[in-house]
Amino acid sequence: MWQYFFRRINLFLATSILLLLVLYIATGLFPVDKSFALSGIATPSTEQQLQINQTYQLQQSAFKQFIAYIQQRLSGDFGVSINSQQAVAGELTRVLPASLELAFVAGLIAIAFGVPLGVFAALTQNVFLQRLILAITLTGYSVPVFWLGLSLLLWFGVNLNWLPTSGQINLLYDIDSVTGVMLIDTLLSAKPYSFAAFQDAVLHLILPAVTLAVLPFTIVTRITRQALTNVMEQSYIRAAEARGLGTSKILFRHGLPNALVPVLKSIGLMLGTFASYGIVVEVIFSWPGVGNWLISGIYQRDYTVIQAGILSVSLLIISLSIFIEMLHTAINPVSRKELYASK
Amino acid sequence: MLSSGCSEPQLPSGLVYCSEGNPESFNPQQVTSGTTIDATSHQLYNRLIDYDPETKQFAPQLATQWSISEDGLSYKFELRQHVTFHNSHLFTPTRFFNADDVLFSFNRIIDPNNAYHHVGRNGYPYFQSINFSQLISSIEKVNEFEVIFHLNHKDASFMFNLATDFAVILSKEYADNLLLAGTPEDIDYFAIGTGPFKLHQYVKNDHIRYHRHTSYWGPKVDTQQLVFDITPNSTSRFTKLITGDCNVSALPRPAELSVITTQPNIRVVKNPGLNVAFWAFNTQKPPFNDLRVRQALAHAINKKKILSVVYNNSAVEASGVLPPASWAYSKHFDNNEYDPQKAKALLKKAHVTDLSIDIWAMPVARTYNPNAIKMAELIQEDLANIGVKANIISYDWSVFTQKLAKTDYDSVLIGWNADNNDPDNFFTPILSCSALASKNNYSRWCNIGFDHILAKAREQTEQFKRQPYFQAAEAMISNQVPIVPIAHAQKVVLKDKSITNLHVRPYGGISFAQTTQTSTKDKQ
Repeated sequence: MWQYFFRRINLFLATSILLLLVLYIATGLFPVDKSFALSGIATPSTEQQLQINQTYQLQQSAFKQFIAYIQQRLSGDFGVSINSQQAVAGELTRVLPASLELAFVAGLIAIAFGVPLGVFAALTQNVFLQRLILAITLTGYSVPVFWLGLSLLLWFGVNLNWLPTSGQINLLYDIDSVTGVMLIDTLLSAKPYSFAAFQDAVLHLILPAVTLAVLPFTIVTRITRQALTNVMEQSYIRAAEARGLGTSKILFRHGLPNALVPVLKSIGLMLGTFASYGIVVEVIFSWPGVGNWLISGIYQRDYTVIQAGILSVSLLIISLSIFIEMLHTAINPVSRKELYASK
Repeated sequence: MLSSGCSEPQLPSGLVYCSEGNPESFNPQQVTSGTTIDATSHQLYNRLIDYDPETKQFAPQLATQWSISEDGLSYKFELRQHVTFHNSHLFTPTRFFNADDVLFSFNRIIDPNNAYHHVGRNGYPYFQSINFSQLISSIEKVNEFEVIFHLNHKDASFMFNLATDFAVILSKEYADNLLLAGTPEDIDYFAIGTGPFKLHQYVKNDHIRYHRHTSYWGPKVDTQQLVFDITPNSTSRFTKLITGDCNVSALPRPAELSVITTQPNIRVVKNPGLNVAFWAFNTQKPPFNDLRVRQALAHAINKKKILSVVYNNSAVEASGVLPPASWAYSKHFDNNEYDPQKAKALLKKAHVTDLSIDIWAMPVARTYNPNAIKMAELIQEDLANIGVKANIISYDWSVFTQKLAKTDYDSVLIGWNADNNDPDNFFTPILSCSALASKNNYSRWCNIGFDHILAKAREQTEQFKRQPYFQAAEAMISNQVPIVPIAHAQKVVLKDKSITNLHVRPYGGISFAQTTQTSTKDKQ
């Protein structure tokens, strides 16, 4: 088992170094001076230039430069934003929590609605309902997220005027950023209107979170249904039935835990798509997260921001996928068995 | 689920303005971009004098009275007393505004030996473009509340220039403190002024928050909190206005104005603007140094079509640089009418074949040009008709202006919003030789004869004597075609119906000092 974890960690390190290498080479290809693309300082003084050369080892061999690059980036030094001349790391810590908030809530919605619906679809004997659920999930899966986002924005925001359509909160609420997660910050705030601000933040979150949740929701529903249907046909379930256990006991003790293992795996596989959907949703709903920041960085040719955005999002995806895979192995006896057999 | 069923959360009082972009700095002395002016001049600062477009008179701000000497070379200003500067986490003023602040604010611009002159990377583009440092010989402090500006030569535009949004008054005490602390550059970011609002917080790409300046010297300010919600996308600004996240929204697209009639809570505020959108050729770069090529390109474009597609016919076609709203305007014959055949003939005469040019188009909507990229596409089509290939180039706004400063472009679609009611403001800052140095002269055209005409116009003080000079300047532009004037647009903002006393002036930045809200919320 430990050997397995060790191998996964190795995989994580190898992928990350490869990612850094690609980013480093791409940085050299930007149509600007390399020291500018690395540091972001627009008009460096002589001392600053020396400092940059020293930090990034620009006079040294390519290998040493790459090592210096890794050192800087991993120690959290992303240079300054070309556009604002502020530290990129500072901007990143401001936008990252907002993205995590959106992704977390969207994921929560997807699981909270997807798993029960999948279970229902697997258990119901009604063919019409089964087909209906399949049709809904297939439609949800195929709808392009930008169209869905814009439509929801138009219906619920502009036409019905029920929900706000952009940003995290009405800006008249002056909320100090503590964690960066608006739902938490509003509650932590000592302002007299903190609860009203929380309500407003929730209202602002609904449309983007629902839009982002649609894709994982459909996947979770379908995988749950499929896995549970499989599991319920296994002989140990029939044995349990034969022993006279109640349906709910069979379902919650023997069926669902086994059915959720493939769901976990599919969530891990979905992360990349989920992140790119997240970027689209953030742009549509002007959500002040990493995606929005990255896209405006691209428009503004802000090379340091582009690097930091790509690095942080990719590292997050790599580490989460490997974490989920390890979790999957840890809780799944079948893959553990395979592991020992292959040893 | 949560819905509007539960009682409407009580919103803190304040006003949200959906603005179109990030300010470059918080010091209007250092910029000419309207976005920055909107966010700074009238909110954070005051000037010595103001110009009232209705009475056409100068009005007191930080100067209460002024007098001009017989020879027109000395301007004496009496300063207002008991004016307080803002306080912030970096600064608590210990004294009232006085003559030292005036001297500091202007010496920073004109005196290269001033400790602050070189702070900030942009210089002082507006003041450089009007050659301000050559104009002023010295600024004299008579006593605490009296200053005299000594000029080198007569200049009818001087008072107008003091009334522009750029000529703001900074705090000398704050500057001295920052210099001691070793962080002089903070003066332009953590701004301190005497204006109706003080800067509370700026989050790039997101918002700027202002609080009311409680001891403001001027008329009482109703708005306790002012927020600029930075929303570059025009459709997003519009939806935010509909959903109530904004109370006022900048720069609607002309196409959106037709949708507004379906929204009962939204009002349009408009005013014929003092502005001009133009297409500038880089006259220092071949083949644009050839007059015939410039004329050919000017003849090739169909302004009528641009007016209908880009402006939805809400703008006036430009025959010259001055808009009809300017007092020096007179309708005159434009030499560069739409005539593709003539354009082809001119190109042939200039022996130019297979011409391929770049058109730089602004990525953001400006008052004078709501959609430069669309305009560039139309021009591209027109140019294809005369056998010229055009590439459209666009970057995000801040990158765009930085790259333009490198001056290796072919041509650019840009424009000018007047800063004051002086016609000179349409010529000197954008077409004179001194404007070339300040990089505001996008055509990079420097003509001694043209500068001479403008100098003559400045020497006169009577409008009727100045007007012929401005018309001569117009004729010269029409003959030399450094730029092709395209349109004069209306200045439009959208507002929620609860907002009153929001005026759009024909020139300069927006002001929220007098704006009031009737009721906080009447949704549902």
